[in-house]
Amino acid sequence: MPHLVLDKISIHYDGYPAVERVSIDVAGDDFVVLVGRSGCGKTSLLNVAAGLVTPARGSATIDGRPITEPGSDRAVVFQNDALFPWLTARENVAFALRLRGVRPAERARRADELLALVKLGDAGDKRIWELSGGMRQRVGLARALAAEPQFLLLDEPLGALDALTRERMQTTLLDLWKASHAGVLMVTHGIEEALVLATRIVVLAPGPGRVVRTFEPGFSRRYAAGETIRAVKADPAFAKARGELTDAIFEGETA
Amino acid sequence: MTIFSYTERAGPRTEEAAGLSVPWSRPSPKRRGVSARMISAATILLVLAAWALSARLQLVSPVFLPSPVAVWNKFIVVVSDGFVDATLLQHTVASLGRVFAALVAAILVGVPVGLAIGISTIGRGIFDPLLEFLRPIPPLAYLPLVIIWFGIGEPSKILVIAIAMLAPVALSTASGVRGVSQERINAARSLGATKRQVVRHVILPSALPSILTGLRIALGAGWSTLVAAELVAATRGLGFMIQSAAQFLVTDVVIMGILVIAAIAFVLEFTIRRIERALVPWAGRE
Repeated sequence: MPHLVLDKISIHYDGYPAVERVSIDVAGDDFVVLVGRSGCGKTSLLNVAAGLVTPARGSATIDGRPITEPGSDRAVVFQNDALFPWLTARENVAFALRLRGVRPAERARRADELLALVKLGDAGDKRIWELSGGMRQRVGLARALAAEPQFLLLDEPLGALDALTRERMQTTLLDLWKASHAGVLMVTHGIEEALVLATRIVVLAPGPGRVVRTFEPGFSRRYAAGETIRAVKADPAFAKARGELTDAIFEGETA
Repeated sequence: MTIFSYTERAGPRTEEAAGLSVPWSRPSPKRRGVSARMISAATILLVLAAWALSARLQLVSPVFLPSPVAVWNKFIVVVSDGFVDATLLQHTVASLGRVFAALVAAILVGVPVGLAIGISTIGRGIFDPLLEFLRPIPPLAYLPLVIIWFGIGEPSKILVIAIAMLAPVALSTASGVRGVSQERINAARSLGATKRQVVRHVILPSALPSILTGLRIALGAGWSTLVAAELVAATRGLGFMIQSAAQFLVTDVVIMGILVIAAIAFVLEFTIRRIERALVPWAGRE
């Protein structure tokens, strides 16, 4: 099973420490969620895993190989979809395949499969600006999956969506996680979202960014075992975990 | 009923505000007053009328100001019989040929130069000062040098126009490249794109709206350089036609030539806007 390891990572911006000695380990079947207040360096850590930011100290590796640049073994999905408006939804999804020189017929077939997986089966010919925010984000996820990554790196993928769409997208994310056999490292501001999705939650605190606590909620495994998200959220254990997580995030905050 | 009586009362008020384009005169979708387009049409008619009237009253000698009808008649004559050994169509084709040859040259040089400026520090260091030097020089100023270096043949004329086009193409391309969203580039790279693939599949299409705007500006700049380019040793072309006419004081041909140049510029602008809309339908909708 592939392993994404961030080991004692420190990140400096203009000499100022943004993240100090953070270690995160994502296995191939993990859904790891980073939460924390603004400025705790969640996105910076994700960018280190993506190969977009070079840490000042520490090592980032996949199966022991150092991460030095972006690669399709770690597909990133951003908060703002970053889709290509000159391509249709299908061509966006097929982008990674096109880069690899896959034949047009084959990549269209594969893209349609992935669009169906994110429940956009009939939107293949649509232009990006014809899609709603939620649909765009689904296209973004399908596009990332087309690269057949070992890890999905999600930077607040649901951050720009309205509450109802977010809730629906959470089940989509869990379904994709199950279907893709990729490990997930995700950054979010949503406390419930973290609890619903994560197999492990890493709580970071700012000034400079460091790990303050780790939770292993297990609600996503219950969804995977067949329970509905609504039932999981209605469980008193969920409310309790929610309180604990909130306390951990705001621990030590004076305001 | 309430709605009905409301519109009844609102009616006269919109009429009052119709002639004003002040912030508080709400633009109603179907205003009974005049639109800007109608005002423009009226303005043009007024100018034509003033021209016709001053020609009719002979306020100015017909040698200097022929009447609109005389210009129109001349237009028909030049279309069928020609002026200085070529019909109007032949003059137009010669001029358009030069401008489009120059446009192709400007694209072939300007787009790569713009890419280099937008993408690499070295490229910016090399080309930025050269372009900034070239940009403000009027074509009539470098025309003599171009003739000294390249002679009086067709290449010189195309080169003069192409130089005028180069800066708009290159600078628009560069600004388009600089405006490419970093997230889009990062997304492509994390999907496995090499740097070369990022340029081809992300940066170029992202910059396309800006490049097309550059082409539109360049075409305008090139077209307005036409007369200068045809100053020397041309035997055909709209600019040449105007100059020959001016030497013999054939003012009606001069005015007709100016109007034809303006009309073609208008058509070019309109066409390239259409092309823009067809090629980059996503512009402004992201």
